[in-house]
Amino acid sequence: MDKETKSLSDRQAAGLAALAKQIVTTASLKAQVTAFKKNEEFSRNNEADQKLVADKLDKQKKFYENILNKLPTDIAVFDPDHRYLFVNPGAISKEEYRKFIIGKDDYQYAEYRNRDISVAHSRRAKFLEVKNTGKEIRWEDSLPDPNGNIITHLRRLYPVYDEAGALSMVIGFGIDITERKIMEEKQASLVKQLSAQNNQLVDFCNIVSHNLRAPLVNISMLAEFIEESEDADEQQLMISKLRPVVGNLHDTFNELVESIQIKQDLEIKTEDICLADCLQKTLDGLQTEINKLQAHIEVDFSKAPVIRYPPKYIRSILDNLVSNSLKYHSPARQPSIELRSEIVDKNIVLSIRDNGLGLDLTKHRDNVFKIGKVFHRHPNAKGFGLFMTKTQVESMGGRIWVESQPDKGTVFFIEFVHQKT
Amino acid sequence: MKNIFLIDDDPVFVFLTRKMIRSMNFKAEINEISDGLMAISYLSENIDKPELLPDIIFLDLSMPVMDGWEFLNEYALLQPRLTKKIALFIVSSSISPHEVERSKTFQVVHDFLIKPLAKGKIREIIEEM
Repeated sequence: MDKETKSLSDRQAAGLAALAKQIVTTASLKAQVTAFKKNEEFSRNNEADQKLVADKLDKQKKFYENILNKLPTDIAVFDPDHRYLFVNPGAISKEEYRKFIIGKDDYQYAEYRNRDISVAHSRRAKFLEVKNTGKEIRWEDSLPDPNGNIITHLRRLYPVYDEAGALSMVIGFGIDITERKIMEEKQASLVKQLSAQNNQLVDFCNIVSHNLRAPLVNISMLAEFIEESEDADEQQLMISKLRPVVGNLHDTFNELVESIQIKQDLEIKTEDICLADCLQKTLDGLQTEINKLQAHIEVDFSKAPVIRYPPKYIRSILDNLVSNSLKYHSPARQPSIELRSEIVDKNIVLSIRDNGLGLDLTKHRDNVFKIGKVFHRHPNAKGFGLFMTKTQVESMGGRIWVESQPDKGTVFFIEFVHQKT
Repeated sequence: MKNIFLIDDDPVFVFLTRKMIRSMNFKAEINEISDGLMAISYLSENIDKPELLPDIIFLDLSMPVMDGWEFLNEYALLQPRLTKKIALFIVSSSISPHEVERSKTFQVVHDFLIKPLAKGKIREIIEEM
């Protein structure tokens, strides 16, 4: 697609240069004719011929101007001092403005239209670049149209020299590539999404080959030992070791299935959820743990009490983060957890701050949300929780990030987008 | 008497490996360390005491706190200063070729063994090293 537009532009450029040359030649011919006219020696007999030539030239001029005016691109031709010699309706649609601009520069035009002169500055810089280097330049610019839509143009500006090698004019033209630009942006975001999904797939591969295989290996080894052993007590011991391994396999399997489901829940329904109610359910579920640790929990959802989200996800996110804060509390102090919701740039940001063990982010920044990553010695840590939370948050278009210091504590931030704030 | 370190957080696997080595009637001392960080601290503390260093390390990859890869990074820095020749084997339940490839980037790794360990392979390693 890119190539096509480019080759079209090359053709247009050559065509335009020829057209512009014609206009200039026509204009100078006309000037000669006028000079002729002033010549008193000029024979009256030739007056009719002269009128004919002038008419012909005028026709020619109109013909070329017509072409330039009908081209679906915007065209502007400048003299060597960056004053306008010509603009077509593609560049300035209103005839009144088009008439005004001839012989003026961008600064005068900006003043006339009461516009920001920064555009004039940047155009002057581009013009001088072409004038000084003698080379064509190309760039893309994106400006809002009167309706506020961003319109992107591919612009080219190139010098034209006369026979003596002096700069006679600079031609600029631009093609609206907004649609292409939007497509490109869509493609870029798709590529990004695909590569993120591919990374997750690699993670999945690793987890399947490791976390699912590990308990299977243990089961098969245990089975082998049970078969080989002739001692009933020893066999019994082996059998007792089977149970937790099977339990572990079961848990891992369920968690994998759950995280695969998130990716399939693309059409999951959102509801208005009262954060305080939802958190209460989480706290009820963790009551034993909270009592045991005498954890202090502070909540302030006053700035954003309601979010629009899939109930299943918000519950799982709160469960995961609060239970993490409890699990990785510091034995040196009474656990304290602060939950807050705020509105930042029309999105809701939920933060969960604890005074627990914390993480060394200089070492682990890339790994915090990776599957199977565990940072502290804890019997129930499998490295699924944060991976799940991140997957859920991102599947809804939001972000999750972390701030932490070892032995100080951790804050998780979650951004919820598309909210009615 | 061979000194063997099992760096692995899976108690069942450690139990079974211990049992397997014992059943082969080797004179071997088996030490378990449940994560990479504890292992690396032990090795660096005893770097100049060859009698306390292992002959063979069996290293798991997926562990809490410091996993096998992070351990290898640290170990590669430490290894030139070790006062004993140690044979290090990765022992993982992973069958991902990507991880086998990655292990080859570490010169300190003797071999990549996939769990479950075969008796014959263990015997061969202990006898050779």
